Amino acid sequence: MSEKFDYAKAIAELEEIAAKVENPETKLDDIDALVVRSRELLKQCREYLRTVKEKIDSLDKD
Amino acid sequence: MDQRQYIDLLQLQALIKESIADAFPGRYWVKAEIASWSPRANGHCYLNLVQSRGGKSVAESRAMIWKWHYPQLKTFFEETTGQSLQAGITVLVRVQVAFSELYGMALYIDDIDPAFTLGQQALERQRNIERLQKEGYMDMQKELALPDLPRNLAIITSRAAAGYQDFRNHLNEEGYAFTLDLYEALMQGEQAPASIMEALEEASRKNYDAILILRGGGSELDLACFDDFQLAVAIATCPVPVITAIGHDKDVHIADMVAHRAVKTPTALADLFLDAVRAQETKAIDLASRILNACHRLTAREELRIVEAESHVRRAVAGRIGALEQALQKSIGRISRGLLGKYADTARLRDTAAHRVQFAAQARVSAEVSRVALKEALITASDPRKILSLGYVLVTGKDNKVLKTVDKVGVGDRIGVRFSDGSLTAKVDEVYSDHQDNDKTNIA
Repeated sequence: MSEKFDYAKAIAELEEIAAKVENPETKLDDIDALVVRSRELLKQCREYLRTVKEKIDSLDKD
Repeated sequence: MDQRQYIDLLQLQALIKESIADAFPGRYWVKAEIASWSPRANGHCYLNLVQSRGGKSVAESRAMIWKWHYPQLKTFFEETTGQSLQAGITVLVRVQVAFSELYGMALYIDDIDPAFTLGQQALERQRNIERLQKEGYMDMQKELALPDLPRNLAIITSRAAAGYQDFRNHLNEEGYAFTLDLYEALMQGEQAPASIMEALEEASRKNYDAILILRGGGSELDLACFDDFQLAVAIATCPVPVITAIGHDKDVHIADMVAHRAVKTPTALADLFLDAVRAQETKAIDLASRILNACHRLTAREELRIVEAESHVRRAVAGRIGALEQALQKSIGRISRGLLGKYADTARLRDTAAHRVQFAAQARVSAEVSRVALKEALITASDPRKILSLGYVLVTGKDNKVLKTVDKVGVGDRIGVRFSDGSLTAKVDEVYSDHQDNDKTNIA
């Protein structure tokens, strides 16, 4: 994550992906790409949350 | 030249002394201000008494307290008034007017009325308080706000004061980082107000959170300087909150009244700042814990959100895949059915063809069989023996040829007769032709 990660944007994109996948008009080929993208986003979200949690945990250590 | 009458100085002084002694035989209670004050090594105390009016001296006299009166008188006064006998105070003293040929006139003080001084002071003090109130000085400092975290402090005191060390030690006990700058000043005596004002002026030019005035021990006397009007004005107009610790339980001084806050002891003064810092620390800890809790709640919520988003995508994908699978199954079903249908058709076709082939074959075979049978029948039918077995006979002529007509046969010809099971020869007796009814042939 070299560029600044936008958590809210990532979550919004995940919601969008879910909606897209649910849409019967989306092609299976596209769903595959969406699933790949959602996996990437979920990974980034989890990583981001973990760094936030680490920062939070360090709050009461000083 | 006339010889003038004269007396010498001593005689004159002696006359004066006598006159004074006659004129002022007793003792008099006199109200005066002590202008200067000078206890001597010999035990006597010399002083100057004055009376002022409109800022100017209108009367002045030397005075003295003999060493046999001085200690008792001093102690009595100081214990009663709580302040030392010193220049600047107004006293009511009992004097004897005395005249010395050598030193001139002097007032011998042998008694003092501390109650008068107290009354005077109280009166003066009350006047000062009223004036400060009237001129709006009383609440000026109260309107200033002490920062939530007062850390940069100026302290006006005497370096040697025991209270200063107590204050410093107590302030540093808990390891908080305070900045403490000392501004030395005289904390007692008539010079004290000016000295304190000077320090206050200097300290207020810097950016302190608070300026402290700490008397910090010493004599319980000489507190009158903290009722000084000018000092009170200087404190009141100081732009930085001034906190006093003058430390006298009996009275509240005017300096205390005009100050932002007043405490009694150096320890209480230190506690004021320690409490403020502790309160801030507690607040910071509370805030940290609130932040921490909020963050934990937030991250937990976000974790849940990620899980939900994931499961949403999963469900969506599963749903779509399910739907697609169903569609696929349907397609497969359709294809299968289509294929089956086609297959069935093909089978049917195949069967039909087979049947046709079979049928045709069978037909062919039957036809062949029939043909064969016919042929056989024909063959069988054309077998003379078969005919012969029916009772027919085969007649052959002379050349052994089968006779199919009687025309070639004549009477007397020898003919052969062939039966199915044997043959014979015979001689024709008569011949009868169907065409010639008259012809008669007898076969013998």
